[in-house]
Amino acid sequence: MAAVKKESGCKLMKNTVVKITDLVKRYGDLVALDHLDIGISEGEVFGLLGPNGSGKTTTINCLLSLLAFDKGEIEIFGKKMNPTAYDIKKDIGIIMQNVAVFDELTVYENIDYFCGLYITDKVQRKQYVNEAVQFVGLEDFLKFRPKKLSGGLLRRLNIACGIAHKPKLIILDEPTVAVDPQSRNRILEGIEELNRGGTTVIYTSHYMEEVEQICTRIAIMDKGHKIAEGTKDELKRMIRNTETVTIEIIGLTEEVKAKIAGLPHVYQTNFDGTKLTVCCSGGKHNLIRILGVLQENELSFGRVYSELPTLNDVFLEITGKALRDKGE
Amino acid sequence: MFLHELKYELIVNLRAKDLILWLMLFPIVLGILFKVAFGSIYENSLFSSIPAAVVMSGENDVFRNVVDSVSGEDSPLLDVRYAEEEEALELLENDEVSGIIYAGDEVTLTVAGKGMQETILKAFIEQYTVYETIIEDTIKNDPSKLQAVISALSDDVSACTETPVTRGNTDQFIQYFYNLIAMVAIFGSITGLHITENNQANMSPLGARKNCSPTPKSVSLSVALIGSFAAQAVCLIICVTFLAFVLKVDFGDRLPLVYLASVIGGCMGVAMGFFVGSISVLPHEAKLAINMSVSMVLCFLSGLMIGNIKGMIAETVPWFNDINPVAIISDCFYCLNLYSDLGRFSVKVISMVIYIFVFYALGVILSRRKKYASI
Repeated sequence: MAAVKKESGCKLMKNTVVKITDLVKRYGDLVALDHLDIGISEGEVFGLLGPNGSGKTTTINCLLSLLAFDKGEIEIFGKKMNPTAYDIKKDIGIIMQNVAVFDELTVYENIDYFCGLYITDKVQRKQYVNEAVQFVGLEDFLKFRPKKLSGGLLRRLNIACGIAHKPKLIILDEPTVAVDPQSRNRILEGIEELNRGGTTVIYTSHYMEEVEQICTRIAIMDKGHKIAEGTKDELKRMIRNTETVTIEIIGLTEEVKAKIAGLPHVYQTNFDGTKLTVCCSGGKHNLIRILGVLQENELSFGRVYSELPTLNDVFLEITGKALRDKGE
Repeated sequence: MFLHELKYELIVNLRAKDLILWLMLFPIVLGILFKVAFGSIYENSLFSSIPAAVVMSGENDVFRNVVDSVSGEDSPLLDVRYAEEEEALELLENDEVSGIIYAGDEVTLTVAGKGMQETILKAFIEQYTVYETIIEDTIKNDPSKLQAVISALSDDVSACTETPVTRGNTDQFIQYFYNLIAMVAIFGSITGLHITENNQANMSPLGARKNCSPTPKSVSLSVALIGSFAAQAVCLIICVTFLAFVLKVDFGDRLPLVYLASVIGGCMGVAMGFFVGSISVLPHEAKLAINMSVSMVLCFLSGLMIGNIKGMIAETVPWFNDINPVAIISDCFYCLNLYSDLGRFSVKVISMVIYIFVFYALGVILSRRKKYASI
């Protein structure tokens, strides 16, 4: 495991919207959340990234006072959160992992129903509902019942129900699971648009690409622990890898491989018979130097890739395992 | 907020497929089946005229007049065919008549079996013979009293006076319709279960989302209950109306109170489901299975499937009928139908109201202000 700067205690920031301090949740002997500390500032898109079972949804459920926890404190908008904190709840929008709508109501009725739990003024509510419909692009499906909608449209309806009342804080718990790429992009663009309007967003996912795309700050979780926190650049700087070079090549000898391994900033090489992978730590011209060695030894090569580290590399280096199982 | 939630609660309930199936279509179908089944039993049990052949072996105008009078009424006792002896014997042999009456100076009867119809024919002939003898003796001994004797013989004299114990419908099969309504009422527990499913965060994503809203849970639960009560009331009003006006089931002359008892019973069913659903240890499917099983067992014990079960329970464990919600509902209709005063009916209604409050209170205590151990 690489040297990782581990946060201790919750950072106290200006305009802190969410403050989770020393949160512990146990299911019998299993520790689902282990002394978790998180602070989220106003206007952030905060990502909770981790594999399935890492504690992301448990964190959200505790945050919303749905789940009893064993230890710790949760403050939202500077006030202590509890099941009857209705003044806090009115400014929160929640989009659950599972679609939470009434099968018996139409698209419009569903959005109107959930908006009506927050907004009592009829005229204002009508305007908000129409805006939410436009926001998720469901104008052509207003009279459809949820069972008639595709998976992507259903997810959009789920989002519309959570954001129609224009909350200050929106919590999205894996909103793109089982969603087609087109709907996924639309959802992510929508979240960015909401954030541009000043809304603070908490976004949980095990899709690192999504988190990288939209989150301004990220906490990586594993087995109930927050193992790292920061912006994506800060997180990537925490690990040794700065560049991974992959070259398709045939006939690489051990001698040449050793020469490459001896280059400055190269800390790991791997050759599987057709593909050479070189991991570099720091340095600016790693690719040119590697290709130079190959040319000196008159070796021809095929395609060449140079990749910057991803959050998966961060997770891999910290925990020794990938964020997602193959095929997930 | 309250009215907004109530509006959608009603829409959701009235569009719910299981509600339409179990609380509207199922009782209508079962009611029709009951009506058809009991209708054929009634038809089989109706009295039909006894076919008899009369062989006039001499002049007997008096007997002929008597036979004509008992075979010419709206519901005639006899279906008489006058025939020669040979033809009459053939009819008897072919089972086309139950007996042959020979009417001459003497009236005699020939039958081929020992059934109910043959017995009635025998009794008829014996009664005629006795009356004929009395009249002949009177003419012979004291003709002045003839009119008084004929008048006395014309009257039905009985040592017993018939006093009706009820002004209601004493049809033994009516209880099946009472139990049918009681079953619909107790099936309101299905909608009661939906209340908890849609309002508890550990039971559905919908419940979780509602729990995150600023609407107090007590408001959501109350709205859901009122909405379910209303939907259940609609179902029961449809059920009773269908039975009373389409199937022409006679519920007596207090139909508004039948509607009232049905609706209160339905509210009790909803409250029961709400309470069962609030016991959050079990998954929804298990609760639904338990709820349906308990409801069906209670229906069975109140006599929905076998009519005399309730009577057996009344003899062995009488208190059980007083606490069985289904029996309480069906007893309401029974009391309304049979007793002129409303005392017993009121007791049953009060029992249902108590049940509603107890179930509701327990359900709210188990549901409100709750954080869940796991979701």
